[in-house]
Amino acid sequence: MRRPLSIVLGVLVTMVTTAACVVGGHAGDQARVLTVQIEGEPEDNQVYLSLVARFQEANPSVEVRLIQVSEEGEDATAKLTTRFAAGNPPDVFLINYREYSQFVARGGIEPVGPHLDEAGIDLSGYYEEALGAFRYGGELQCMPQNVSSLVVYYNTVAFARAGLEHPRSGWRFEDLRAAARALVDHGSEGLGIEPKLIRLAPFVWSNGGEIVDDPQRPSRFTLEQPEARSALEFLVGLVRDGLVPSEEEVASEDLETQFVTGRLGMYLGSRRDAAKFREVLGFDWDVASLPVARRPASILHSDAFCIAAGASPLDAALAFVRYATGREAQTLGALSGRLVPSLRSVATSNAFLDQTQPPRHARVFLDAIPHMRRTPVIPTWPQIEELGDEILHRAFYDEGYGVSDATTDLRRATDELFAEAAK
Amino acid sequence: MTTRRSAARAAAVMVLCILFLLPVAFMVVGSLRMPGLTPAHGFEWLPEPLTWSNYESVFSFVPLGTYALNSLFVVVVAVPVTLLVASLAGFAIATAEPRRAMRVVVLSLLALTVPVAALWVPRFVMFRWLGLTETLLSLVTPALMGTSPFYVLLFALVYHRIPRSLYEAARLEGLSPWRVWRTVALPLGRPALFAVAVLAFVFHWSNLIDPLLYLSSSEVLTLPLGLRALQSFDVTNQPIFLAGAVMASLPPVVGFLLVQRAFFEKTLGV
Repeated sequence: MRRPLSIVLGVLVTMVTTAACVVGGHAGDQARVLTVQIEGEPEDNQVYLSLVARFQEANPSVEVRLIQVSEEGEDATAKLTTRFAAGNPPDVFLINYREYSQFVARGGIEPVGPHLDEAGIDLSGYYEEALGAFRYGGELQCMPQNVSSLVVYYNTVAFARAGLEHPRSGWRFEDLRAAARALVDHGSEGLGIEPKLIRLAPFVWSNGGEIVDDPQRPSRFTLEQPEARSALEFLVGLVRDGLVPSEEEVASEDLETQFVTGRLGMYLGSRRDAAKFREVLGFDWDVASLPVARRPASILHSDAFCIAAGASPLDAALAFVRYATGREAQTLGALSGRLVPSLRSVATSNAFLDQTQPPRHARVFLDAIPHMRRTPVIPTWPQIEELGDEILHRAFYDEGYGVSDATTDLRRATDELFAEAAK
Repeated sequence: MTTRRSAARAAAVMVLCILFLLPVAFMVVGSLRMPGLTPAHGFEWLPEPLTWSNYESVFSFVPLGTYALNSLFVVVVAVPVTLLVASLAGFAIATAEPRRAMRVVVLSLLALTVPVAALWVPRFVMFRWLGLTETLLSLVTPALMGTSPFYVLLFALVYHRIPRSLYEAARLEGLSPWRVWRTVALPLGRPALFAVAVLAFVFHWSNLIDPLLYLSSSEVLTLPLGLRALQSFDVTNQPIFLAGAVMASLPPVVGFLLVQRAFFEKTLGV
């Protein structure tokens, strides 16, 4: 009886040990190995690979292991949170300002500010709007890589067909509605806007409202207040009037596809979309600033390189962060068309404003910077935003669900999370 | 009448086949579309212009060959180990004293209710402690537990339905439990063996979350992660993703074609 069983166990052990020999990866990190997690599509990865290659040329003693995670779904967050929870985070990681504070709150991030001060690095060349988003607890936690914002992408052919001109800076909410109406009347869909808080927020701010009671220490949403409510009603009104693709239309074809195929005349997006649209053969498009109600407003879209607490070697991590947010790396990023550099000198250079490539009005991204605001930087914001997006989705597409229902439900669903963050 | 009935049946099967093959056709046709073109509205029978270059381009974005070999390695090790462990465990349950068997069944059902996400961190910590992170072994290790309690229960159910008198007769002949499993349970439970083999293959071949969490180095990544990366391409580059999807689908299709005769003959008797 025992012999055959021992054979089975033997086979198992052999398979497993053979497997160990065949696939044994990195047994343990060497002294000068740096792990860097980035998120993006395959073409982003090519940019980061060349960035890493150049960094290693200048720092031959450091081996950078790039962890490339797809930007699909929540892959990057799942990987990062699991690795943090398991006590094995990457040394350096790229993260959006709306998500990093949960890691700071758990002591997971090594603030870069004091190290940069110590090294005498002058940060005055960086946009304060981006730096400010990564200050938490009085210290600069991470070093911003980009400072993008929300703009209106539009199809120039559809605009011409509808008799519309390039929207001038300071165009009004009603001009946006009129443009969407004209596009619909001339056979296109009007405006592509996702039912998300980060899309709604600049409309609220422009209308003189606030999305939360205190942007620094928020305790609740304030979308029920007249200015905020009116901005929400404006967007919901666009949906109800058929100027925004319906839920069914979006389900059958996403907004981005509708825009590049010419079926959608306008699309609200950030700088990342510009690189995608550049690749579409024969597609004519441009960008315009967000419309204004009472005052110009836009929303910050910014990612930064953060260093995990306990990263080793720390000096190499700092060197990488400095390089990745420095002039050479930001120029690489700007040339890829995917980001608005956080370094002012690169953002205003030809690498970003290149007139030989669309968008013709690339300066719109820079003009928006002084009017940029940001969503609250609190540890529970990712959950709050997720719940808020679900409610907004319903407000947009469910005709029996009014704006009042949405603002009430928003408070009900998120008050506890705000309170949790305030503890 | 019989001829008419069999013709109707053949037609119905044909319609079903077409329905199931349409997405595959869409994948293949889409992979032949030139990147950079605006996506077609609806189904496109033949792209204009037609290009095979996407099958080459895939490799400039992700090392799909390496990923395929890694995936192949995982299924070659994990599927047999799963079959062995789950089948033996199922046999043990089926032949155990009823009260003890019930306890194990309840325990297995409880294990099935544990959300997968709850296991991510403990597994990561365990693999790290064992030095298995960044190795394909982290993907194979679950096979040592039968991959899923469901597979164990499936075997237990099948072996339980074999008349107990057969096991007892074999034991009276002096066969050890091991030989009873091998000569009685395993041959009679062959359909379950094939079913679990297919399920385990599909699980390990398409496993996305485990390699995402436990692996980072491109030398050890697997096909689902490669496809996931390609999936994030913008809409006009989707033909490259579809070319990757076609290539990733080929090994299971070829594998199934090779074993289908044995599958139908030995399990269904056709």
